[in-house]
Amino acid sequence: MATEYYEQQPVGVGDALRSLRHEAANYRGILSWLATVDHKRIGMMYGVTAFLFFLVGGIEALVIRSQLATPNGSVVNAEQYNQLFTMHGTTMIFMVVMPLSSAFFNLLIPLMIGARDVAFPRLNAFSYWVFLVGALFLNFGWVTGDVPDAGWFGYANLTTKAFSPGHGVDFWLFGLQIMGVASMAAGFNFIVTILNMRAPGMTMFRLPVFVWMTLVTSFLAVLAFPLITVGLFQLFFDRFFAANFFEPVAGGDPLLWQHMFWLFGHPEVYILILPAMGIVSEVLPTFSRKPLFGYPFVVFSGIAIGFMGFGVWAHHMFTVGLGSVANSAFAVSTMLIAVPTGVKIFNWLGTLWGGSISLKPPLLFAVGFIAMFTIGGLTGVTHAVVPSDYQQQDSYYIVAHFHQVLFGGAIFGLFAGVYYWFPKFIGKMLNEKLGIIHFVLMFIGFNLTFQPMMILGLMGMPRRIYTYSEGYGWDLWNMIATAGAFMIAASILVFIINVIVSLNRGEKASADPWDGRTLEWSLPSPVPPYNFAEIPHVQALDDFWHHKYAEDEEGRPLPVVVGAAEEPHEVDVHSIHMPSPSLFPLISSLGFPTIGFGFLYETALVPVGVAILLFGIYGWAIEPAAE
Amino acid sequence: MSKLRILRAAIPVLLLFALLLLVGCQTDSPQNTFAPKGYPADKQRDLFMLVMWPAVVILILVEGAIVVALWRFRRRRNSERPKQLHGNPRLELAWTIAPALLLASLAVPTLATIADLAENPGPNALQVDVIARQWSWEFRYPDLKDSKGQPISSLNELHIPVDRKIHASVVSNDIIHSFWIPRLGGKIDAVPGRTNHLTFSAYEADTYAGECAEFCGLGHALMKLTVVAQPQDEFDAWVRQKQAAVSSEPGGAVVAAVEAGHGN
Repeated sequence: MATEYYEQQPVGVGDALRSLRHEAANYRGILSWLATVDHKRIGMMYGVTAFLFFLVGGIEALVIRSQLATPNGSVVNAEQYNQLFTMHGTTMIFMVVMPLSSAFFNLLIPLMIGARDVAFPRLNAFSYWVFLVGALFLNFGWVTGDVPDAGWFGYANLTTKAFSPGHGVDFWLFGLQIMGVASMAAGFNFIVTILNMRAPGMTMFRLPVFVWMTLVTSFLAVLAFPLITVGLFQLFFDRFFAANFFEPVAGGDPLLWQHMFWLFGHPEVYILILPAMGIVSEVLPTFSRKPLFGYPFVVFSGIAIGFMGFGVWAHHMFTVGLGSVANSAFAVSTMLIAVPTGVKIFNWLGTLWGGSISLKPPLLFAVGFIAMFTIGGLTGVTHAVVPSDYQQQDSYYIVAHFHQVLFGGAIFGLFAGVYYWFPKFIGKMLNEKLGIIHFVLMFIGFNLTFQPMMILGLMGMPRRIYTYSEGYGWDLWNMIATAGAFMIAASILVFIINVIVSLNRGEKASADPWDGRTLEWSLPSPVPPYNFAEIPHVQALDDFWHHKYAEDEEGRPLPVVVGAAEEPHEVDVHSIHMPSPSLFPLISSLGFPTIGFGFLYETALVPVGVAILLFGIYGWAIEPAAE
Repeated sequence: MSKLRILRAAIPVLLLFALLLLVGCQTDSPQNTFAPKGYPADKQRDLFMLVMWPAVVILILVEGAIVVALWRFRRRRNSERPKQLHGNPRLELAWTIAPALLLASLAVPTLATIADLAENPGPNALQVDVIARQWSWEFRYPDLKDSKGQPISSLNELHIPVDRKIHASVVSNDIIHSFWIPRLGGKIDAVPGRTNHLTFSAYEADTYAGECAEFCGLGHALMKLTVVAQPQDEFDAWVRQKQAAVSSEPGGAVVAAVEAGHGN
């Protein structure tokens, strides 16, 4: 059928594509990675890229902390400091936590739902390449000297041409715009994958919680990114075509930007934290040997957080003068969102309680998540109390709060995931001792860095200042925070050593090293390209666990004799059809930065970029999806 | 088990920080929100305390539960596989409703205080126009005019009488700034194109430090201000001096002298 169809195509293009395709199937080495559509490889590329950016953002943080270690610091000047905190925030949010989460979506979702790949494998590759070129574009300012310096939040009207004349803000706005394309594409891809690609019997309420959180996150991405896209287009028009959306002198309103940004920005916070919550919800049951306590409550609270996340944005704007009615409404909605968040924490405690807890690195990081995220949640409630937020807003207390959530929460959760699933995809165990050292250093370093910031904020230290004088009582706390930051850096060094050591001399991982509960542990480590030789038939939540254990009358698990439960079928893995590799996602993605450079430097490049994009999409559209 | 020792060590670290937080708040520092000397900074501090204490209790309970669970239920060599408990809807409903009730009880004083702070201070308040720009503060007193009929003004130093409500109308000349005087009255943003209001007062004659709290470019860290709270007579003297200062300019001398003669 397929061959007949392509024989009807114009000879030139079709033949060319097919010979290209044949070649692509035989790619080795670097080319095989450039053309890959395998969700596991894409996941690893996301992970490695995000980790490299984590190092970049971390170095930026270390310079910031060195500057602030003492009063009247002289490590950097005001301009460099503004560039550093802008790039630190932008990097950690858009190039670290989001793509690290994407790495886990990519690696795990098909395995957890019993599928051989995502719904749109080439779109998946496209997401990664667009993310990569967007991130590199945003960082290109380091090369030209035009580094973004208006904050990761890019508040208008500081970002207008009059107040930010250089190209810094342009790199920021096009970079974010490009990465937004990647997030939207990935969001759609995972929504369709989770809804449509589930194995037989994998009903919605048999989905692992991580899959649920991915689904909620994907919906948030699809619904929230259009808001920042529109905001960034408005900024683009303001800066390039003298539109006046945010220009007060011409009747525009800088607060419009804040509404657009936070209407995106608050769901974005949940885009950052929900995947880590999903990871914790997988790690705790495995290492406690108990199912997740109150699965429906955890799932529904995740969904509730997703919905309510769109109704709290103005708590970022309590001091802009919205008036008592608006401030009261958003105070109440913000307090409400603490309820489903609390439910999750209590349910995780319920999972640990009565379990048989194995204190391995994945569990330590997951528990670190709960311990630190709780502080983040509680400090969040103190912001919801509006009059006291009139003091906290834009102080270091806020910096402390969101690092409790995004570092104490998201980063700890993501590291739990790294230690948990590393063996599944690499085939080697990460070293346990080094893992524990990593955790202890990071946990103590984290507390040393961010708890003093709470004190600093309440003692009146504002955010985003590059220097401060003596006599404010801030000196000691800043010094402790800086020491803590270097301790975190040391812990990351231990992690890097761990990865290198384990890759070389790590213990070989079995298929199920942790006595796992979800489908991915039923597969060999590392997972073969086709994932499942035979698509599983799912009969229960934690299906794989139930294949290993029956329950006695008291609900205690009894191991099932191996081989008694089912007879393995002989499957010819060569008969499995997998999507063919393609270079078109990569080619299309190159169109975006070309357009960006065109607007910045030479307008003639804009049509060139559009042409590259269209060529890539055209080739993509007419090449056969699988040979 | 070294892992356990480490875990047990982690919690005291947390508690130590809670303690340090409280200690830290007592130390004297010019922008300490825990040492309010005016309205509404005192109300804001009280409200923060009202939320902080339940939060500290919950924090200790949660962190404590983590430590107890890790210790009590740690896997031993002879540990059996635990009972597969899937949940307890009644318990889960309880820990959904309990926080909701606690938050509802916090919402009441929150909403009441929001309304209180937004109340117009009435005709007795001293009107001050606060004009923010990159990177300085200008304070104008629209009701206190000099000999030319221009409101007196000052740069980066705001003089106010003690124990009198100040009604600040905050505007910006360029981009967004934020007017923050931690020990007196919290903050309000200065947004170009709109006028925001902040009512505050100082209980004691003293100087109070403040600064811009919204990122506003290169000079953000240096955009500081001082509030000088004075007894009424000293304040009046300062006003007269300001009014007279203009009179030294050519042409203004006579008028100023006349006004001074009227004991204005």
